[in-house]
Amino acid sequence: MDRERPIERFLPLRPVEFHILLSLAAGERHGYGIIQDATARIGTVAPDVGTLYRALRRMEDQGLIAEADRPPSADPTDERRNYYRITPLGVRVGQAEARRMAALTRAALVGGLLEEAVR
Amino acid sequence: MSEERWLRRSDRWSRLLLRLYPGHFREEMGQALLQTYRDRYRGAFDRRGFAGLAWIWLRALADSLRNGLGERVRPSVSWRRMDDWGRDSQLTLRRLRRAPLFAAAIVGTLTVGLGIFAVVYAAVDKVLVEPLPYESSDDLYFVWRDYGPMIDLERGWVGGPEVVALREIGGPIEDVAATAIQSVTLGGVSDGRAQEVALMEATPNLFDLLGVRPELGRGFAPGEIGPDRRPVAVLGHELWRSRFGADSSIVGSEIRLDGEPHTVIGVMGRDFQFLQNSSVGPPKQADLYRTFAYYLAEEPPMAGSFAGLIRARPGASPARVRQAVASIGRTMDEEVFDGQGVSLYPVSAKEDLVAPVRPALVVLGSAAALLVVVLLVNLGTVLLVRALQRERELAVSRALGADRLELVRATLLEGGVLGLLGGLGGALVAVWGTRVIVSLAPMDLPRRDSIAVDWQIAAVVVGTGALLGLLAGAAPASWAARARLSTMLGAVAVRGSGGGGRLRHGMVVVQVALALVLLSTGGLVLRSFERLLRVDPGFESAGVLTLRLPISETDYQDDLAMSALHERLERRFAAIPGVRAVGAVSALPLTAAASQLQVSFPGAPGNTGDEDRDQPMIDRIATRPGYFEALGIDLLAGRVFDEARPEGVQEAVIDRTLAKRFFPAGDPLGATLMYGDDPVTVIGVVEHARQYDVHRDDRPQVYLRSDYYTRRNHNLFWALRTERSPSSLAADARAAVQQVDPQLAVSDVRSMDQIVADSLRQQRVSAVLVSSLSVGALLLAGMGLAGVVAGAVTRRRPELAIRMALGAERDQLLRMILGEGMRLVLLGLLVGAPGIYLMGRVLRGVLVGVSPLDPLALGAVAIGLVLVSLATCYVPARRVSSLDPAGLLRES
Repeated sequence: MDRERPIERFLPLRPVEFHILLSLAAGERHGYGIIQDATARIGTVAPDVGTLYRALRRMEDQGLIAEADRPPSADPTDERRNYYRITPLGVRVGQAEARRMAALTRAALVGGLLEEAVR
Repeated sequence: MSEERWLRRSDRWSRLLLRLYPGHFREEMGQALLQTYRDRYRGAFDRRGFAGLAWIWLRALADSLRNGLGERVRPSVSWRRMDDWGRDSQLTLRRLRRAPLFAAAIVGTLTVGLGIFAVVYAAVDKVLVEPLPYESSDDLYFVWRDYGPMIDLERGWVGGPEVVALREIGGPIEDVAATAIQSVTLGGVSDGRAQEVALMEATPNLFDLLGVRPELGRGFAPGEIGPDRRPVAVLGHELWRSRFGADSSIVGSEIRLDGEPHTVIGVMGRDFQFLQNSSVGPPKQADLYRTFAYYLAEEPPMAGSFAGLIRARPGASPARVRQAVASIGRTMDEEVFDGQGVSLYPVSAKEDLVAPVRPALVVLGSAAALLVVVLLVNLGTVLLVRALQRERELAVSRALGADRLELVRATLLEGGVLGLLGGLGGALVAVWGTRVIVSLAPMDLPRRDSIAVDWQIAAVVVGTGALLGLLAGAAPASWAARARLSTMLGAVAVRGSGGGGRLRHGMVVVQVALALVLLSTGGLVLRSFERLLRVDPGFESAGVLTLRLPISETDYQDDLAMSALHERLERRFAAIPGVRAVGAVSALPLTAAASQLQVSFPGAPGNTGDEDRDQPMIDRIATRPGYFEALGIDLLAGRVFDEARPEGVQEAVIDRTLAKRFFPAGDPLGATLMYGDDPVTVIGVVEHARQYDVHRDDRPQVYLRSDYYTRRNHNLFWALRTERSPSSLAADARAAVQQVDPQLAVSDVRSMDQIVADSLRQQRVSAVLVSSLSVGALLLAGMGLAGVVAGAVTRRRPELAIRMALGAERDQLLRMILGEGMRLVLLGLLVGAPGIYLMGRVLRGVLVGVSPLDPLALGAVAIGLVLVSLATCYVPARRVSSLDPAGLLRES
């Protein structure tokens, strides 16, 4: 659990990892919430549950996210859910990944691989 | 088919798929994963009906195959790649971090408990176990002279010719050294201050025999003994540091001992100390060393003047050494003592030195070991209660496929980690604790300075902690391993009394039993100490300042000059405001400084006709007239010495014990006492002021005027009785001495109360340690009991609610819960009772004036334990009254 390593060591992120950071940057979520967010963002099918939870576990271990307190919710099934929040390191890693992809996109435009910026 | 039914089927499907994941993943993420699938199924069903559900089923299968197997091959968390134990310890730490109060309470308890254990362990190890700091120290023996029927003295010093004979016999004896310690005035130091120091005179082979070498310069050469040579001295490290500024050019320079010039030839190392054991009183060590200025063979053979130290040949058995020493003893008995039965015997040097403190240390060691067992059982109880609280979690983990071994590992590790942390804490506490104990410990405690926590001791303490934790973790682990899944789940379902109840109750009983044993030990030791504090030692210690003034014979060469000096000092002291009485004496009470002599009372009624019995060994004490008043020693008959010295007659004051022995009914006044060849007239009888132990009479005492034997009494203690506080008098007393003679060295400035307290140091330390051990045990037992009662109330809430609903009064329920707690306590008392008897046998050598089965102390302890338990049970049991039966019944 080497927390000292530079941000770049975390990059590139897997898509599922980036989605997790994106979701948690907006607020604390449980696993299904993250899947719903991702589905809403890209409109297609979201990451698989197993993939998601392995990533959550890995990222918690790396210190990008942390387990959060359960919100005082009325739903009794909530007791079984794990809530997560993003850590400051997670924010920095997410931003670095976004910048990296933006730079690649710019390069693709200049190189003529893309004809317009993807919206 | 309804939606709910399909969702339940989906759930079963997910559970099945979850099996594809490794156990550690299931344990941690299983619940959340299942719930997320549940959410997804519901979402898919809501949106696309059965088709959507089927699609998710398929995807879940693919997902679980890929990720489940992937997780097995390459775990998502780095420490998962470690082995199971490493992984579990991470989990354990995480779990403990989530319960910081629990962890802190446990580690705190262990820290304190193991800290006390470590202090006692360090003392026992350093004093009793570790060998003396000399080469092959097991081959070292002190040799003593037993006077047999001749005089009542079993540990007499040996004579010079005996030492020579022992050295010549060879065989199992490789070498023999002789030592004697005396006080001398150190002069010739650049700061010009005279100081009294302890000088050890020895045969030149002392250092070689011990296998030590000076740090600077050289030791004594074999020929450096006897008269007519330039005296040489070796300095001890401490004296070299304090008086000579650790100046390494000291070797070769000159110092004066009692005015006589000596050449310094060496300085001993910091670690060197040699305790010369003494036939009466505590062992002593020296500030510096020189060789005898005479030949041992020429010393009077009868006189016992030397401590004899034997080095046995390597491999020589103690029995052979004893035989060799005894044979010399027999020869000497024939030749010197006319076969009266005087004998010689060796004692292993270490055993000889530690003999006086062994009983106390054995008691302390046993008490500390018991406390560790209490800690163990206590931690076991707490972990078990915690495991039971996690019953639900465990049951679910098991249901999800966590194997038994994993649960066992988890509980074991939890105990191990807590124990390890507690051990570390305990070792740290002990580093400080040993310093406190050393500062409290008696000055003459053998090897006092070596008591400290070193790496070895720290390692043992940390290891004890870890082992203790693992063992304590074994209790819940065995429960977790044995408990059947159905029982666990059943217990969770009905929330009733779960497993482990009998185990917990058994552990509380054991704790109470051990606490009883420890508390009785503490109670007895405290009561014994309290007896010691209240004992009447034969003098009035309050309001007396004492100091010692050794006077150099070279400065005051004749009796008249010495007497005149004493008178001047006495007048000066008496003139200090607030001083009511001034006295001087050769041996203050409790200093073991008296010299011994045989006396007889020809014609006294108490004579038995048995020559040996009628010539008892007594303590000879020289005093100046004001001494009895200054020390508050009661005059029982006759009078004490007058100010003016009577001409033509020698007077003596005898103590109560001597008077009773020779004049059981009659009047000793005017009787003649034969003191050597000198007839002395008894003029008074005084109380026996105890010389050695505060709690018991020792040798009878004879007081003589110090001005008869001035030359021999140049080293007097002064006692100043004052209306002020004795400590405030010290400066005035020093000033008075300075005015009389600035060259005089004042030493040992202490109040008489301090002397009494110092003589009780060992008992005080024992009392402090044993009572803290026993209070610790009481607290731990209380904690365990409270935990069990609290757990019982929580677990039995449904049952209690039903009872209340059926009409039971709250008081009735409270009594029921209390009764169950107290049943455990009483059972514990019964189990512990035989332990008191066993501990009593260990205690016998330590207690003063208290039987190991003292009904008062033991009764008080038992009643106290019951009361404390009652209170401990009452607090959690009171929760019964806050039960809300209606709510509880709804809940269950």
